[in-house]
Amino acid sequence: MLAPASLWLLAFLILPVASLLILGFTHRGAFGACEWVFTWDNFRRAMDVKYLPIMLRTVSYAGTATLLCLLLGYPLAYFLSFQAGKRRDLFLVLLMIPFWTSCLVALYSWIIILGREGLISHLLMRLGIISKPASFLGTPAAVILGLVYFYLPFMVLPLYAALEKIPRTYVEAAHDLGAGKFEAFRKVTFPLSMPGVMAGVILTFVPCMGDFLSADFLGSPRTYLVGNLIQNQFLMVQDWQFGSALTSLIVLFLITGLWARHIFEEQGVFEGEGEE
Amino acid sequence: MSDPDRRLTRRDFLRLGVLAPALPPLLSGALSACFKREKENAVNFFNWSAYIGKDTLPAFSRETGIKVNYDVYADEEEMFAKLRSGALGYDLIVPTDYLVPRLKAAMLIAPIPMEGLKNLHNIDKRFLHTPFDPQQEISVPYLWGTTGIGYNKKLVSKPPTSWRALWDEKYQGRICVLDSARECIGISLLLNGCDENTTSEKDFEAAKALLLKQKPLVKQYTSTTYVDSLVAGEAALAMAYSGDVLQAIKENPHLDYIIPQEGSFLWMDCLCLMRGAPHPEQALQLIDYLLRPEVSADISNTVRYGTPNASARSQIEPTLRHDPRCYPPSSVMSRLRYHTPPDSEAYSLWNETWSDVKAL
Repeated sequence: MLAPASLWLLAFLILPVASLLILGFTHRGAFGACEWVFTWDNFRRAMDVKYLPIMLRTVSYAGTATLLCLLLGYPLAYFLSFQAGKRRDLFLVLLMIPFWTSCLVALYSWIIILGREGLISHLLMRLGIISKPASFLGTPAAVILGLVYFYLPFMVLPLYAALEKIPRTYVEAAHDLGAGKFEAFRKVTFPLSMPGVMAGVILTFVPCMGDFLSADFLGSPRTYLVGNLIQNQFLMVQDWQFGSALTSLIVLFLITGLWARHIFEEQGVFEGEGEE
Repeated sequence: MSDPDRRLTRRDFLRLGVLAPALPPLLSGALSACFKREKENAVNFFNWSAYIGKDTLPAFSRETGIKVNYDVYADEEEMFAKLRSGALGYDLIVPTDYLVPRLKAAMLIAPIPMEGLKNLHNIDKRFLHTPFDPQQEISVPYLWGTTGIGYNKKLVSKPPTSWRALWDEKYQGRICVLDSARECIGISLLLNGCDENTTSEKDFEAAKALLLKQKPLVKQYTSTTYVDSLVAGEAALAMAYSGDVLQAIKENPHLDYIIPQEGSFLWMDCLCLMRGAPHPEQALQLIDYLLRPEVSADISNTVRYGTPNASARSQIEPTLRHDPRCYPPSSVMSRLRYHTPPDSEAYSLWNETWSDVKAL
């Protein structure tokens, strides 16, 4: 069983990441051609303090989007697992439907909704909140909205899986021992769903850190993210070396985070995993 | 609890099992279709999107029996990245002037056997032996245009005359700027009175400072959606390519286009033959077809960019032929020039500067 899994890992994770890392240490030749000469230059450029604001902006957008996904996703996952009953499969399919549409189509529909002639602008005018048409495009909120819209299923599905695993008898036992609904949730259900929260946060935060479409379509030049900077290196300015160095740094940052989580897990911070 | 799911999966696997025997013939069919594409009587044409007449290619196929496999791109640097990373199999591409020497240096395009083009004499001599192809051996002029300012007449108090309009705080958040190192830095250098051939870091720092001063006013850096923004009134002013705005003016008379008084750039999109093209003869036939006066005039009438084809001029719609926004008078032409094709060092400076303007 190990061999096919390792091959899979090698082919689809290690090789691509390793080649990016290697490319990040090569020298950029004439018009972006790759020269196989070792250099630290690309990493030195990527760590320049002038990119600190864009890094911080990316982390804050991705963090906010992840938090919003958690706040929106947890009640949804809880409802799916505990209350949806027979219609649960239907709701799960409904959750996945936005995922089946092309993200460009979804982004264009958000442009229509948020634009000057859009739904929200009309609604607010009708309600008398604003007096002339207003555009909500180009704001940080629009970009974060795009991120939440796309990555919400990444949060809900692991949460749902974790909540499904909780033996209902535990919750009943809590009630028998005198815990109210809220207390049973706080002391039993929520702690037991922590592995799902962790998995959801990781699965949402990681792709949010690399997203560029949301900022490209719904943002302005002032909501430029690391994903846009990287995309720009590969597609526009033919500087794959610098793009690779930036990507490697982001991957390193995320791996460090995951490793820290692993350490916590070893120390038993997230109990309840594997109990059944 | 997850039992129903599991059963579903198993059923899906069974279904796959039924399909599996059909896969090898399907795959081999697809593969042989891929290889056959090389040998068919066809030409693989990779052009800018919306950059040809409505019936140009079907008419060519009807006349010659050559099938045209047509792909389009919206961004030239992306096209270059695609070709460089090995998207092979194209015969004909349409790069802009400044990109021609770079494609040549990257060994991506091949010399065109000009003697095989009996319609080449139609091209206006002004557009031959240009700085980007002095020997006229590797490119054939296709369409040309200018970079200027497109604007929505309803949203500006008075028509812009200067590039400075794109720095006017009155229009904060309603200015679109082309996502192009070449145009933006070119114009900044021009406004700062610097030579475009410069490789002085000081000049680039000054250009960057000027663009960063503009950045708080910019709605979007875009080379593709600015016309939609102007039409919808989301943007009042946009750094623009002539034909893009002129096409939209047909339906939206409240748009207009000017070439600023400080001068600007003109550019030539050229037909280039790919090195190792699978169908060089058919590609040559297509180039020659596109050089016919009536074909070239029809393309120009459709896309509203200028044709370099002197013999085509009499067949251009009179309104377009006399439109100074498409065919500027010589007094304006004298203020226009081609971008200097940058050498590798200048190219890095241009790109890093533009990348930083967007990221900072």
